[in-house]
Amino acid sequence: MLIPCGQYKPARNSSIRFRDLITMINSILSKFKQKNFLIGFIIIIAAIILVAIYKPNVLFEGLQRSALYALIALPMALLLGIVDIVNLAHGEFMMVGAYFAYFMNVQFGMDPIVAVIPALFLFFLFGILVYYITFKHIIGKEPLSQLLLGFGVGLVLAEGITVIATNFPRKLGLDYVSSSATIGGFTFGTFEFVYVAATIIILVGLQLFLKKTDTGQAALAVGQNPRGAKIVGINVQWIYLLIFALSIALIGAIGPLFGTRYTIFPGVGDQYTLKSFILVAVGGMGSLNGVVLAALILGMAETLVLSSLQYGKWADIIYFALIIGFILYRSHQRQVK
Amino acid sequence: MTILKTTGVTKQFGGLVALSDVNVEVNENEIVGIIGPNGSGKSTFTNVVAGVYLPTSGKIEFCGQDITQKTTHEKCHAGISRTFQLMRPLIGLNMIQNIMVGAMFGKGHSLKEARKRSAELCKFLDLENVERPISAMTALEIKKMEIARALATEPKLLFLDEVMAGLNKDETMEMINTVRKIHSRGMTIVIIEHVMRVIRELTQRVVVLEWGKVLCEGTYEKVSCDQRVITAYLGEEAEC
Amino acid sequence: MKYWKYLICAVLLIVAVSLPKFIGVYPLQMANIILIYMALALSWDMLLRTGQLSFGIAGFFGLGGYATMLTSTYFGFNPLLSLMAAAITAGLVAALVGYSVLRLRALYFAIVTLALGEIFRVIAQNLEITGGTEGMLLKQTMFKGDAASTYWVMLAIGVLTIIISIIFQKTRIHYASTSIRNDEIVAASSGVNIFKYLVIIFAVTSAIQGLVGGAYVQLYGFVEPTATTFSINFVLMPITMALLGGLYTTWGPVIGAVLLSVIAESLKLRIPYGHLLVYGIIMVVGILWFPGGIMGFIKKMFKISNQ
Repeated sequence: MLIPCGQYKPARNSSIRFRDLITMINSILSKFKQKNFLIGFIIIIAAIILVAIYKPNVLFEGLQRSALYALIALPMALLLGIVDIVNLAHGEFMMVGAYFAYFMNVQFGMDPIVAVIPALFLFFLFGILVYYITFKHIIGKEPLSQLLLGFGVGLVLAEGITVIATNFPRKLGLDYVSSSATIGGFTFGTFEFVYVAATIIILVGLQLFLKKTDTGQAALAVGQNPRGAKIVGINVQWIYLLIFALSIALIGAIGPLFGTRYTIFPGVGDQYTLKSFILVAVGGMGSLNGVVLAALILGMAETLVLSSLQYGKWADIIYFALIIGFILYRSHQRQVK
Repeated sequence: MTILKTTGVTKQFGGLVALSDVNVEVNENEIVGIIGPNGSGKSTFTNVVAGVYLPTSGKIEFCGQDITQKTTHEKCHAGISRTFQLMRPLIGLNMIQNIMVGAMFGKGHSLKEARKRSAELCKFLDLENVERPISAMTALEIKKMEIARALATEPKLLFLDEVMAGLNKDETMEMINTVRKIHSRGMTIVIIEHVMRVIRELTQRVVVLEWGKVLCEGTYEKVSCDQRVITAYLGEEAEC
Repeated sequence: MKYWKYLICAVLLIVAVSLPKFIGVYPLQMANIILIYMALALSWDMLLRTGQLSFGIAGFFGLGGYATMLTSTYFGFNPLLSLMAAAITAGLVAALVGYSVLRLRALYFAIVTLALGEIFRVIAQNLEITGGTEGMLLKQTMFKGDAASTYWVMLAIGVLTIIISIIFQKTRIHYASTSIRNDEIVAASSGVNIFKYLVIIFAVTSAIQGLVGGAYVQLYGFVEPTATTFSINFVLMPITMALLGGLYTTWGPVIGAVLLSVIAESLKLRIPYGHLLVYGIIMVVGILWFPGGIMGFIKKMFKISNQ
């Protein structure tokens, strides 16, 4: 479907002003006036309150788990939701980032949290390289070859790491990871709130980038209609390169954060690719907030199921079943019935 | 006899109203032209009647049968066939195989029978060298092949969506003759067109769409002198 | 020219059938592996011809494996009957799942099939009757592990897959698949009932994958959910083989399977960790620069020599 090219208006002033913040808040408030949104919101809040009363632990753990899912899904939301490129090697890039942090720590004693910064730069360059070698040649062609290509790139990354580091599972022994706090009789880990913070930073950063910068607006235009964007004078190739590299940089930098807490092995990225894709599909293509919301709901639900001893092992099934149902409901259906 | 009748057909895409309350009738064995400026809903109309969209509201009757909620292939089986505005050959198949798809699935012929009928259609439309791949065909040939693919489903009603677009003067003349030839075999045709000369040469009745509404309808002479049509669409091109 | 083709096929078949007379047990086991991957690659390609990319090969493979294991353990089915059960189970599940999932656009279909494999795996891992994470052992493998007989069963499955693929290429299914792959709207406008054909083809190809899974279990005598039965290898090896051999053809995946199985076997000994790296590289290079694969290359050579 062709969208008129006129919709692309570059923001004249890219600085962030107080007035913009007010308009942002207003637009959020106006959403509450829509009936469906309000009902959904109330149900979610009510569910969270119920959970908080029933199992307070679940609330915190669920929040942390949701934040991790959202964090990993956001770079994919940027790439898939905004400029419509499917990268099935998503989780593998995170895995490589985690290994990077691991070896930096083992070799040079660098703290994984500090390793985020060099990872950001290195993976940006890595992203550019990968883009030029592979994805550049396939954008705009049939989406199936994109899927296969991502699958192949992921395989190369996972197996490359296996050649270098074998598939022996590794874990960093960091003491601050197990720090915890106790409020009124129950204990929860505090370190994991770093995921919540990172999610908020990336979400706000990406929103500002997309809404307030010329480049961000151009990216939105390219996502809606690459040909139209080209006609109005946007350098489409450059936008693809930039967004791809940015997405890889972000997911690569999330790797070290992931590696602080979790055991890593070459196949660890797999399931996160799947979960991220699903969150993007559920949250709505092109909506970063939607992805975070979807992560919140699913993270909470999964934690709740996991917390039950009897049914805990079925958590994955619930995740996938819920999601397949939701994807069907959201009708990403073929045009022809 | 009326074979196609739309009553109050409306199609919305989100907030955009692409068609609103369109009432059109097509009689057997006539050629109806649908004209209108860009974005007036001509192609949407084709897509609602013959293609992939379901109307938001309204009713479509074909040969006395309600086909409003029918899926695309069911509409094809009911006897409506169409060509596309942009050329859409099936590149994995060669010329005659493209046509055979219509004969096999539109009419349910066996492979052998479909090949025979497709070969006949090729002869009828002056398509030669039928085993060529798509890459070795000219634009005119591809367009003719697409018409043949539509005809192979043995429709009662044929939609031709801007079939002259991108053809030069001689090719347009040839295409007009082709359409006449098809019509002379007793086919009912709805032709959506930009080129007024084609409409004048071919159609007995014209429907003018503007902003998704029927502006007026009648013979070419009547429509082309209508002041509203002139301002909406024809501009200075009108030759009364 | 035409008769040559049949002659070559006949000779190949005779050689394949009489193979156990000439070679030992280890090469026969190797041949079994080749046949397993060949059937998987070919069935995956058969679905791809309709433009639907499935990552669910391992899922249906594992499903068939479990069906064989469960029917022979609990109902005492004989091996061939349990293989039938595997094919029927996988086909039925695929038809049921496909009935809702095939309405999704191709991109979402691909991802959902990926999730599907996970679902089957988690179910197998969590149920008591499937043996949980430890899996199960088959009381007795097919023909008591006789190399020649098992090889013939595998060969029959392989030949059956090739025959189905050729049927798909020679009949109206070929026209339906190609038109759906090229342009769904044109296909539907020409009267193709897209959904019907997709469900049928998905069910048939999944049944083949289930059958192969069942045969795998009969061959090796065990199921184990995490590392073996639902292994990601059963997704990526067949895909790489089909890509290398040439998509949308019958003989491409066959050639790819023979070549890559042999290569994999020798690589496994040289590079214990990460020999699949080669597969990844073949996959990427194949998609980017040689989309026609080996068959595409052969066809091009023929064209040049004809001119």
